[in-house]
Amino acid sequence: MRPFRTALRAAVIPAALIASASFMRADPSDQQEIQSLRDQLQALSQQVKVLARQIEIKEEAAAAAPPTTPTITVNDKGLNVTSADGKSTFHLGGLVQFDSREYFGDSGTLATPGVTNNTFILRRARINADGTFNSIYSFQLVTEFGGGSLASTSGGNASNASAVSILDANLNIAPTKELQFKFGKFKSPVGLEFLQADSALLFVERSLVNNLVPQRDLGAQAWGVIDNGVLTYSVGLYGGVADLANTANVDFDNDKDGIVRVFAQPFVNDKDSALQGLGFGVSADVGRQKGVTPASTTTTYGVAQDAGLTAGYKTDGQQTFFKYGTAVQDGAVYRISPQAYYYNGPFSLLSEYVVSTVNVRNQALLANPPTKPSVELKNTAWEVQGGYVLTGENSTFGGVTPAEPFNWQKGTWGAWQVVARYAEQSIDKSAFPTFAATTTNAQAASAFGLGLNWYLSGSVRVATDYFQTSFTLPPGVASSATEILNHDEKALITRFQVSF
Amino acid sequence: MKKIKPFLLAALALALTAGASAKTIELLNVSYDPTRELYADFNKAFAAYWKAKTGDDVTIKQSHGGSGKQARAVIDGLQADVVTLALAADVDALHNVARLIPADWQKRLPNNAAPYTSTIVFLVRKGNPKGIKDWDDLVKPGVGVVVSNPKTSGGARWSYLAAWGYAQRKTGSVDKAREFVTALYHNVPVLDSGARGATTTFVQREIGDALLTWENEAYLALKEFGADKFEIVVPSVSILAEPTVSVVDKVAKKRGTEEVAKAYLDYLYSDEGQEIAARNFYRPRNPQVAAKYAANFAKLDLFTIDEVFGGWTKAQKTHFADGGVFDEIYLKK
Repeated sequence: MRPFRTALRAAVIPAALIASASFMRADPSDQQEIQSLRDQLQALSQQVKVLARQIEIKEEAAAAAPPTTPTITVNDKGLNVTSADGKSTFHLGGLVQFDSREYFGDSGTLATPGVTNNTFILRRARINADGTFNSIYSFQLVTEFGGGSLASTSGGNASNASAVSILDANLNIAPTKELQFKFGKFKSPVGLEFLQADSALLFVERSLVNNLVPQRDLGAQAWGVIDNGVLTYSVGLYGGVADLANTANVDFDNDKDGIVRVFAQPFVNDKDSALQGLGFGVSADVGRQKGVTPASTTTTYGVAQDAGLTAGYKTDGQQTFFKYGTAVQDGAVYRISPQAYYYNGPFSLLSEYVVSTVNVRNQALLANPPTKPSVELKNTAWEVQGGYVLTGENSTFGGVTPAEPFNWQKGTWGAWQVVARYAEQSIDKSAFPTFAATTTNAQAASAFGLGLNWYLSGSVRVATDYFQTSFTLPPGVASSATEILNHDEKALITRFQVSF
Repeated sequence: MKKIKPFLLAALALALTAGASAKTIELLNVSYDPTRELYADFNKAFAAYWKAKTGDDVTIKQSHGGSGKQARAVIDGLQADVVTLALAADVDALHNVARLIPADWQKRLPNNAAPYTSTIVFLVRKGNPKGIKDWDDLVKPGVGVVVSNPKTSGGARWSYLAAWGYAQRKTGSVDKAREFVTALYHNVPVLDSGARGATTTFVQREIGDALLTWENEAYLALKEFGADKFEIVVPSVSILAEPTVSVVDKVAKKRGTEEVAKAYLDYLYSDEGQEIAARNFYRPRNPQVAAKYAANFAKLDLFTIDEVFGGWTKAQKTHFADGGVFDEIYLKK
């Protein structure tokens, strides 16, 4: 190696000396040209550096710039679009419920009042759209395309068969989580089970308690969630609807309902507490309503008004067991409902009690002045229901999500839940016979239900429920002209549901 | 021993109580680009001062970037307890756009809320191969000038106004000043978003022949990269740059940091604060400290923004607003 370096040095040094000597001896014009080339080279080098730096600055600016591309996801929670800054979202979802209803121990034909044949029904078919803009403003729009019902009149959870309706249409403004404002059509915050999403119920149908609570109404509400749900409150003014009724999307009268609800979950922030899933509260509804018989929408004042009294109370099998006769609502309305739930892992329990007080007048139309006295009727209902997820997943007010979706190839079976319920409803005896016929109505009903839910995935569920409802006829009535009231209703309802 | 024991117990109790009640406070100081070293030193000193005074631990988090960009970040929601920006117009924006501070914010601290000053000088390669001695040399053909973007950088706006002010005072003509600045920006190959980025371009990417920058940034570059590679050229005249500071009232109130945020900025005016500024090549306001460090700062003719441009509001609107003179000059380039 050493002789090579020595030889290299011996060759390079003289060559360099000769080259510089040659440059020194070079023609001045050559020197100028060489210098010019050097300058050009330097200028080019600077240009390259400038271009590289410009790219670098652009890349730094792009990395530092806030993102502009929205995030789009499609999964079992629907289509979700979130803006790049996270302040605006849009969600498109849906709910389809297809039911099979079988009734046991009934007899007769369609011509025999109250006897129902087994049936298939598209119980609900909805498109849900909701979203948030600028973090503060949110909207909800729910359209019902299904809702087939055995009932021939509106009211309750079902609308007329094949009638398309707007279920929810509202705007929420949330300056803070603790104080928000909602306007439009939305669920009246009275019944606890009613406030639960239709897709998350333990049973395919809500209990007898739901007969006494208002459903969806037009209103303006202030509400808030304090400390992550330790306390939730709402106070609002609503158009006022009858028991088990939905608003007709217009409330053209001076009579309104005020509804207040407070609900506490004192241990919700304590992850180690066995009571973390305990919630309890009370709702109160006070109002004044003048109504007309369901068949008419005008009064002697010549002004269109709300339908007044409930269109009828329904069994778990969705058959009507009580309906007012010739009567209108005229006077104060009171409802109060203490309510509670408890969730702990796979276990769930929910209970509520409702008193619904109405003032009723035995008249076909609301004459001015009325010629018959109004009577206060107090109707009550209560329920307790519970469930247990056999596969161990958590049960929540929002439903059950299986740890693994059903996939027979992988050997995973989704989540399985058993449920049970007992409920009673009692109609004020003073309703008979003035306001409701004794021969065609029940005075009370009690029902139990047993069921099995199979959650195939976060969005697909199959449920089978057995309901048995017993009836108490009005005093002095041995047999009802409404055939279904003369024996227990025994209904088996199976539901296939997809919700996202 | 009997007498000492109760005393010791009481002292222990007091110490434990004091320790138990000592708070941990965090502040965010949103600052402009070249102040990293200044606030690294200052924050350490303030934390020690505050601990000694109150027993509380205060941690100051820093955010640095072009002054205009930083102001916009705070307006858009960056939770700054204090801002220490390059110029009053950027701090003004916190009031004008978002009402984060009161309109009279500048009156709350001495010297119009500017605890130190600086100016604009040139940093050139060692040996000054292009012979740059003053502003006129920057507009000669073949001279590459590196400066940051006036739309985002406070230092760049001071540089622009320094060049304009030089030309306007020399020629007595606004049109000629515009021509001069146009020629200057014709020689600018790259615009960084902040002063520190411009330093990177000149020093590390070896682009250009002269860097127009803050005086303190130029001295820091010499210190960090070597006085054997660069030298500072002090022009005949430059602008008195007054970086301003303010508590961001809305944020400090929400976060409960008003007291410590105010104390933080007050401390910039203290003897120690002024010494730290001077050691980091910012011209201190305190006359005694200024005299002590006078030899570190070149003497040059300095004009104020009020004298030549009628104040920041006017200068910002005329030159740096969208569609202003700078946009006209640079877009035409």
